[in-house]
Amino acid sequence: MKEQDQIIPHWVRRFLQLICPEYLYEEIEGDLIYRYNRDLLKHNKNKAKRRLVWNAIRFFRPGILMRNNFTKGLNYQIMLKYHLLVAWRVLLKNKLFSFTNVSGLAIGFACCIFITMYVLDELSYDQYHGKAHRIYRLLHNSGNLADTVSTSNNPADYSVWGNAPVATALKAEFPEVEQVVRFSGRASTVLRKGDNIFNEPNIFIVDSTVFDVFSWKFVAGDPETALAQPNSVVLTESTAQKYFGDEDPLGQTIEVDAIAGRINERSTCMVTGILADIPHNSHFTFDVLLPMSMFKKSRPGVFTAWGYVDSYTYFVVPEGFDIAVLQAKMHAFTRRHVTEWSYNLMIEPLSKAYLYSKAKRQPGVTGNLSNIYIFSAIAVFILFIACINFMNLSTARSMTRAKEVGVRKVAGAQQGVLRAQFLTEAVLLSLLAGVLSLAIALLLLPSFQALTGKQLSYELILAPKVLTALLAATIVSGFFAGFYPAMVLSSFRPSQVLKGILKASFQGAALRKGLVVFQFTLSIALIAGTVVVFSQLEHLRSIDTGFNQEQMLVINFDYDGKVQERLEMIKNEFEKHPSIISAAASRTVPGGHFPKATTLIETATGEMQSKAPDLYEVDFDFIPHFDIDVVAGRAYSRDFPADTANSLVINEAAARLWGYTNPEDALGRKFSQWGKEGRIIGVVKDFNYVSLHNKVEPLTLRLEPRYSMSYLTLQVTQNDLPATIREVEQKWASLAPHRPFLYSFLDDSFNRQYQADVRFGKVFGVFAMLAIFIACLGLFALAAWTAERRIKEIGIRRVLGASFGQIVSLLSADFMKLVLISMLIATPLAWYAMTRWLESFAYQVGIRWWIFAVAGLTAAVIALITVSFQSVKAASMNPARSLRTE
Amino acid sequence: MSKEHIGEFEELILTLVAALKDDAYGAAITEEIESKLAREVNLSAVHVTLYRLEDKGFIKSELGGGTSMRGGRKKRIFTITSAGMAMLKNIKDSRLKLWNMVPELKIAAE
Repeated sequence: MKEQDQIIPHWVRRFLQLICPEYLYEEIEGDLIYRYNRDLLKHNKNKAKRRLVWNAIRFFRPGILMRNNFTKGLNYQIMLKYHLLVAWRVLLKNKLFSFTNVSGLAIGFACCIFITMYVLDELSYDQYHGKAHRIYRLLHNSGNLADTVSTSNNPADYSVWGNAPVATALKAEFPEVEQVVRFSGRASTVLRKGDNIFNEPNIFIVDSTVFDVFSWKFVAGDPETALAQPNSVVLTESTAQKYFGDEDPLGQTIEVDAIAGRINERSTCMVTGILADIPHNSHFTFDVLLPMSMFKKSRPGVFTAWGYVDSYTYFVVPEGFDIAVLQAKMHAFTRRHVTEWSYNLMIEPLSKAYLYSKAKRQPGVTGNLSNIYIFSAIAVFILFIACINFMNLSTARSMTRAKEVGVRKVAGAQQGVLRAQFLTEAVLLSLLAGVLSLAIALLLLPSFQALTGKQLSYELILAPKVLTALLAATIVSGFFAGFYPAMVLSSFRPSQVLKGILKASFQGAALRKGLVVFQFTLSIALIAGTVVVFSQLEHLRSIDTGFNQEQMLVINFDYDGKVQERLEMIKNEFEKHPSIISAAASRTVPGGHFPKATTLIETATGEMQSKAPDLYEVDFDFIPHFDIDVVAGRAYSRDFPADTANSLVINEAAARLWGYTNPEDALGRKFSQWGKEGRIIGVVKDFNYVSLHNKVEPLTLRLEPRYSMSYLTLQVTQNDLPATIREVEQKWASLAPHRPFLYSFLDDSFNRQYQADVRFGKVFGVFAMLAIFIACLGLFALAAWTAERRIKEIGIRRVLGASFGQIVSLLSADFMKLVLISMLIATPLAWYAMTRWLESFAYQVGIRWWIFAVAGLTAAVIALITVSFQSVKAASMNPARSLRTE
Repeated sequence: MSKEHIGEFEELILTLVAALKDDAYGAAITEEIESKLAREVNLSAVHVTLYRLEDKGFIKSELGGGTSMRGGRKKRIFTITSAGMAMLKNIKDSRLKLWNMVPELKIAAE
């Protein structure tokens, strides 16, 4: 009989036990052995064995598996009810434990809800257009015929902003292009309706085909004809509200001031359409649309000049069209039209415009794909940390529940039932946390909106996608967190447990320690990351940008012709004011938008070489006013009236671009730019006129004090700023009564470039804090449990003369060791991750060792406080009392 | 007439349970199919079919003794119920009726 028992290999037997209902198991095993013995008569031993295994495996079929459930089916509901009841009681019995777990998990889930909302929102950009999947846009790249970049396939070398005629040609030459629409660059001007006069900074001048391509919702008006006529205007609902209040705006007129470079004179436009406000999840938004025909009337030349850049081009292709076919034709297309320079086009789908586009000169703010990854990863980490709390506490408490398991087993509970019991507890807890997290999410949504600067609606929390994700997350986390404790607890042997023999499992303790280390590694890495992000931001602020940005009041008059005419007078008037130190005008200010200009400069060999450096148009006072160092030659000066006609100042990077490593050598060289010819008279130090994400690019500072000025910058004194602003405003009203007074401070607007970075830092910091908070919740409960379990030991130690301090350190030391190990693991991880992050900045703060020390120390101190709270409680207990308790 | 229908393989097993009487259990039935009908069947298929027939009430089972051939494990002996018997008869009758409609077969039957 003994040898018959060994016929079926052990693992096969385990397998059969697993899949077969218990009441069928014996006969099936018997039949298998019988067949094996029969096979032995015909085949050799090995073959018989193989057939046996095969026969056994074949029992893995629905007819057998389902039978398991059928018999339990009746029982199961009763058991579930019972499991839930017990789980509820356990929950109430251990309040600290339940609180730790539920709140930790709830915070974890709430993070996940927020991140899911954030990610869904990021992914939803532009998807609301009916033709979204068929809309594409052109990316343009221009360069020297000989340049290598000119044939680049890297979208980062391309711009979304391009010329106007390409759109017309595209529509005419490719029948597969169903519809094309052009947008001018974002424009701003003043709109007037009676006393309602506002500057509208968010205007696009568009082709009348715009509504065939994009499907913004019309509240009133006909999309077919809305922009067909010149002197019509389409407003968004809230913009219309500003001018017309509760009146019906449709058919009414509104005054639109000239738009420099686009629409030459003020015109009276009729409101022909009202759009619902543009959804925030659009890669560009606007408040006002004007018809392209007005642009065309003012400057017809723009629409035939392939070299004039002021258009975004979007187009629609038919359903199912392979865009690669069109892309392949682009090379020949551009060569047909442009021969003097190298002109290239790339086609980008609308779906890539927000998150994936690397092209320059975007019509709006673009998203950041890596942020999505980073935030998702952090959310998962936090959930992980919360789940670990559960695993740790459950296994730690297993000692306390061992007797319960023993009694249940003696009373006939099978391992499976116990496992189900513990899993039910875990899932119940997790579901509770899920409900709580919804409440947290609803409560904290405004803060999250402020944190991310995103308009996320309350409805989104209750969106089916989010709720399903949440439910799935709760159940999965419940199982994930409950699985290990369930396995451990249900495997106790009743005979030993009830006798009170419970070998403190070394394995369990090691695992617990490992998990704590894991939690703290993540937390410390997140803290270190936060410190790096903020020290980088601080670093950016402290870098000498090479120009004076303090106390600079910037007035934006948007190329207003009348202001430009009287600019010198206005400047003089302002400079008379005692709290104004100096004044200067320019086309743009540091941090603002500027064009590139094709420029020819003579190289050392005397050849005129063409490049496209950045362009700042300035007046005589700009360079001294902003305190920009002149490293060679001189700045523009009124002492040289000819400067306006034939002089150019460039920066060091530009000098290097034309091959002059020593700026002195560039002086006196010939230049030709935008119809002006003459000589280089000065080289200024490289100042950071764009964000410090980038190195300083070659720049030309062109003197154009009369025609291209848009900003007036006043340097004001520190004292009584509000009064100064008030006085400047009054003065402005008297000097330029027709222009609204729009001002900002240069350092504010310059630092706004880092808004996204600051936001990133804040989000990162908040998550880091949550991570350490949840980790400490777990540590707190774990310490409480340890202290409780060692209560007798502590009592005896105290009786034998251990000091208070000794006991506290005895209890805390174990945990501190774990935190120390975490620090060692977290340091290289965080160092690697943050080095990668810093790569996106041209000017990086060095990652110093103290950052990790600070992060580790912070974590250690927080952990120490958490743990010693319990240690002190345990150590200060009266030993007489603790020894008496049983 | 019962509304319950049974498949070809079920019918085969049901017939064998009736035929083998006190010796109808999984392995024996499998062996019988293999030797009498020269048809390969898997043990698990037979088992599943037996359980299904039992669910339908055509056969019933009880545990019988073990033999050394089966390592002392008990057998589950199946016996046909009256419902099962009625079902078999019913099938046979309806088959015969259909057979009689086929000309060649009719001649052969006569």
